[in-house]
Amino acid sequence: MRRFGILGVIAALVAGCYSGTEASMTGALSAGSDGITATAGDGTDGDDGGDGDDPVPEDYDPAPVALRRLLSTQYVASVGLLLGDAAAAVADPPDDAAINGFTAVGAAQLALGSAEVDRYEASARDIAAAAVVEGTHLRYMDCLPGSPDDEPCMREFVGRFGRLAFRRSLDEDELGRYTAVGLTSATDFADFYAGVESSIAAMLQSPLFLYQVEVGEPDPDNDATRRLRGTELATRVSFFLTGSTPDAALLDAAEAGSLDDGQGLREAAFALLERDEARGALADFSEELLKLRELDGLPKDAATFPTYSPALAEAMREETRLFIQHVAFEGGDFSELFDADYTFVNNALAAHYQIPGDFGPEFVQVQLPPEQKRGGILGHASVLSVLAHVSSSSPTHRGKFVRESLLCTTIPAPPPGVSTDLPIGDGTETLRERLEQHMVDPSCAGCHALMDPIGFALESYDGVGAFRTTDNDKPIDDASELDGVSVSGAAELGAALGANEAAHACLVRNLYRHATGHIESPSELDVLSEVTAAYLGSGYDLPTALVEIVTSPAFRVVGQPL
Amino acid sequence: MKPFRLHRRTMLRGMLGGSTVALGLPVLEAMLNGNGDAYANGDALPCRLVTWFFGNGCAVADVNDTGAGIRFAPAETGAGYSPTPQLQPLADAGVMEYCSVLSGFDIYAAAQHRRGHHDGVAGFFSGYPFIELPPNGANYASKFGGPSIDQVAAERLAGQTVIPSVELAISKRIVGGEGPTLQYLSHQGPDQPLAPFFDPREAWNKLFGNFTVPDDPDKPARLSALDAVREDVQRLQMRVGANDRMRLESHLDAVAQLRNQIDSLAPSCTLPPEATQTNDDVEGQEQLVAVNAVMSELLAIAFACDITRVGSIQFTGSVGYTVFDMLGLDRGHHDLTHDAAENEAVDQATIFTIGQFAVLLQALRDMPEGDGNVLDNSCILLGSDASAGLTHSVFDQPCIVAGGGGGSLVHPGVHYRSASGENTSDILLSCLQTVDPTATSAGGDLGLSTTPCSAILT
Repeated sequence: MRRFGILGVIAALVAGCYSGTEASMTGALSAGSDGITATAGDGTDGDDGGDGDDPVPEDYDPAPVALRRLLSTQYVASVGLLLGDAAAAVADPPDDAAINGFTAVGAAQLALGSAEVDRYEASARDIAAAAVVEGTHLRYMDCLPGSPDDEPCMREFVGRFGRLAFRRSLDEDELGRYTAVGLTSATDFADFYAGVESSIAAMLQSPLFLYQVEVGEPDPDNDATRRLRGTELATRVSFFLTGSTPDAALLDAAEAGSLDDGQGLREAAFALLERDEARGALADFSEELLKLRELDGLPKDAATFPTYSPALAEAMREETRLFIQHVAFEGGDFSELFDADYTFVNNALAAHYQIPGDFGPEFVQVQLPPEQKRGGILGHASVLSVLAHVSSSSPTHRGKFVRESLLCTTIPAPPPGVSTDLPIGDGTETLRERLEQHMVDPSCAGCHALMDPIGFALESYDGVGAFRTTDNDKPIDDASELDGVSVSGAAELGAALGANEAAHACLVRNLYRHATGHIESPSELDVLSEVTAAYLGSGYDLPTALVEIVTSPAFRVVGQPL
Repeated sequence: MKPFRLHRRTMLRGMLGGSTVALGLPVLEAMLNGNGDAYANGDALPCRLVTWFFGNGCAVADVNDTGAGIRFAPAETGAGYSPTPQLQPLADAGVMEYCSVLSGFDIYAAAQHRRGHHDGVAGFFSGYPFIELPPNGANYASKFGGPSIDQVAAERLAGQTVIPSVELAISKRIVGGEGPTLQYLSHQGPDQPLAPFFDPREAWNKLFGNFTVPDDPDKPARLSALDAVREDVQRLQMRVGANDRMRLESHLDAVAQLRNQIDSLAPSCTLPPEATQTNDDVEGQEQLVAVNAVMSELLAIAFACDITRVGSIQFTGSVGYTVFDMLGLDRGHHDLTHDAAENEAVDQATIFTIGQFAVLLQALRDMPEGDGNVLDNSCILLGSDASAGLTHSVFDQPCIVAGGGGGSLVHPGVHYRSASGENTSDILLSCLQTVDPTATSAGGDLGLSTTPCSAILT
């Protein structure tokens, strides 16, 4: 009875994988273009999108709002902004955990446990001590304490520091509480500044610092939705665009109501994008999307890849960061992400890419050698190394990444109960040949056909992204296709992606997921199609996409909490 | 909920003068009854529960017939079974008498067979079907559907030790992209996975270093900070939805736990010297053996000192890509398990892994307690996330229940093969009952069990 039941489930899932495969593929590809077409043809909403409030669609059904713990990079950057570099240097927050591929989503769903709270306490104490040694606490006080227990002076410090740390003005209760923490300690140690240190340590452990608190306020026009308050919106914008907590000027603007209208919000967003931190924030997002954090401690077999080293991995990571920042903020055409014919290398990477010339430790822009067929991020050694095995490439991993992370198409699970192995060959095959054999198995072929052919186009790059012409002593065959378009090598694959609107829509979706900490609801996806349209209309200007996301109802209006 | 065993600490209160007092034995002979098998007042010696996990299952018996099972359990059943090559490390370490092998079980919580590895790890260790997080065009992810059994035990034993549980991990080659199910072994609930310590120095600090001396000048400030934080959390709870209120409740629990530890006296036993072992790679290779040895020792001492009674060890990850370089292997483990040509390599990895499990059992056995040892008063549950990575099957996953369970587990251990594909949650319930005999169920939903596996209970 049980066995029969299981077999029934298997049959259903296998069938689902087949039909689901085709359906989800075409569904995802056409969803993007449908959305864009609808927007272009609709013409009622988008016309004034450049300078006013984008209207909230009727029956808008946004995802529930939730508390979001600061990501570790956001925590460190915020400490730097609040208390300076020395304090940031000792900041040691717990690790993030990803859900659906995004640490921002994990931060919105998971609870803090004992290990995290212990770590936050130790980190807060170290930060507070470093700040007081450095004197950065003095930014928040004009008073000179008359005695260790100078209550008004402690209150001034707590109020001013707390407003930046909590991203809103403290209420009387909070002011009293943290002033008391400071005064108790100041009295114990007979030292006002020991009290300041204790109050800093305490406030940095508060949920009002550790979480992006987004509660919102009732929306007068819609019972089902809520609007973010000014300071909540300032916080959301600041963390999204600069990776850090809002500064005093942005909080002032929010409290003055400047972000309440689309134009004010737009201006504030463009101003934030002028800051250096915006470059780092985008690079951090890209590192997550491209899985580059895995380069830290990524195991590679030394016998297979003798030139691989942690230092080379670090150079790979830097190449991609520089490249992303360039195409976003200097190149003006972010679609070059997929097929740029240039990159950035230092001496180590130039050697890895076999680019002739004299290079030093500094990164410089170079043209890619055409014979390697590289172009865009899919030719980056960073991405190719992460999307590979310890001692080989992995067409499956590479194809899965393109589908999921660049085209926003979910790959179904392998059916249960079937053997998920590579068939045993005679040892002379290329990896591609072995994978193609296993695609003969109909229970595997449905899903692997979505992934492996994409990876075949990248088989000229080995498990650390070095160019090669043979695998297992046989010539590489990297002629393949992406959804009917013939491609061979990273540049052609990237060009095919760049010509696909779904890839640009997917970028917008990924930015939104990172910005808001959830996977977009169908209703939000509709609204985001207008952002995609604006991005395409701008000629792939990434700052336009970022600002359009910020001013979209999908960013400003939230659902009721669960 | 039982009260603290204050009597043990109060004995030593006067002796603590700013440094830890070293005593000859973790549990003082004078505190035991005449037989040495219980406290003088009749209270039983503490019982502990540990879950021990390795990812990606075992080698298949025959790569040309994946229905023929895995290489793990012996052919004979009952006591005195001969070890298979996979179990031989337990015999070599002299701990096989403590091990019962359970085969032929099925994970009822995974009866829907939704996703390989996720089904195996969540179903086996919690007994609840996992919660699928709809990807909607993003990466697949899932959460545990209920608490893992170690956390059920920790909840039931709450208040009896300063630290409710400790979570440890050895290999760092963990998959973080598919949600908490694959990333963590211990879960208090779907939204409350517990991050483990990978670094023995951090584990030492948590278990032995966080206690403060009574006159620590920083103590009042730390406590008042935590009190202020608690008030902020409680006020915030009033403003958010039910889901966030529950998350903040976990935050409050963690704050209370830290406060309790800062405010507690150091335990009354010989604390180990500060750990110096790191979990950094050396020339690109993990230090699995060294890290596992230290972690096993730290856990054994923490148990002996009754600092905690619950632990979990994630030796390798679910879908993890640990490279067993000491076996001459040059591929990630998950990758190997999906290549039929590497079945022998997978088998070698299993044998090595069981050897590392034996290290923990030895550490517990070598820690005297009363007239026996800590392993006599512990229950260690070993499991994986698939019977074999090659098939993703959740039928007949490798399973060992080790230890004496305070006399409640059969000794010597047996091999019990279920003829009817019994529910793995039965095993969870048996293990839970070793630390709390009043437990009547384990798991939930499809995986619910109210019938312990009697074959391993005395």
